[in-house]
Amino acid sequence: METAFRELLVDKKLIGPGEIRRQIEVLDSRTPALGAKVVARAWVDPSFRARLLANGRIACEELGISFYDDTELIVLENTEKVHNLIVCTLCSCYPRAVLGLPPDWYKAKPYRARAVKEPRAVLAEFGTVIPDDVEIRVSDSTAVVRYLVLPQRPAGAEDYTEEQLAALVTRDAMIGVIPVTLNAGSQP
Amino acid sequence: MSETANLVKRLPNDLGGQDADRIQQVDHPLAPWEKRCHALADVLDYHKIISTEEKRRGVESLGAEMVGKLTYYERWIVCFANILFQKGILTPDELARKMAEVEARHPGAKM
Repeated sequence: METAFRELLVDKKLIGPGEIRRQIEVLDSRTPALGAKVVARAWVDPSFRARLLANGRIACEELGISFYDDTELIVLENTEKVHNLIVCTLCSCYPRAVLGLPPDWYKAKPYRARAVKEPRAVLAEFGTVIPDDVEIRVSDSTAVVRYLVLPQRPAGAEDYTEEQLAALVTRDAMIGVIPVTLNAGSQP
Repeated sequence: MSETANLVKRLPNDLGGQDADRIQQVDHPLAPWEKRCHALADVLDYHKIISTEEKRRGVESLGAEMVGKLTYYERWIVCFANILFQKGILTPDELARKMAEVEARHPGAKM
């Protein structure tokens, strides 16, 4: 059905014959490594961090990360007092330009239904326990507004280079379900 | 809230705040047709043929049974077809004929 649908659109000249292939190349070029680069830069460069929090999209474009869709990016900073979590309760909106495509669990009912109602229980299922005096903020994405979590820089990484820091930052930390730790680099 | 009131207030996609099972931390690499389907969605959005929000509503209007039984990208491609039928850009006949043609070219292949 996908093949037939695509060929009909090409026959009708509504889309170009190579456009799907080119867009697949764009999709393949987007991985959580881009988001990790953004986070590491924000950790080492306070003025970049300020620009990133003011307008996520413009700051990412500064690092050469283009946005191939018409979305706004709001970057949410985790602090001693606030832990952020992102979700899309209605569908599967996700900061694809900087993280690639979302994992299946992000698109499935349990995460979408429960993240907004019992975020602490959801986080606990990822092994993340947030102290009671830290506020949890859950941000619900839309077709045009996407979020990215700026995790806290882990203790013990004070001497790390920007590249070493980027290697610590995982996809799940930028969704907000886990913190960044010194040995988290092996996760997807 | 009564069951019927809940049905009226909640469309099938509107899951936020409902009770649900434990999270299964699952993922899968996309099949080639799934990735093409994703790229197709982006291209349809660029050309303002189907926007992301129209796609979301299109999936929602498939109804609870289809939303529950079709896979993620199956929902997308079915909703794309429905939207273009509604817009008069494609007809069901045209799509059926093209599907038969593709099927004849690649017998048994997942289309």
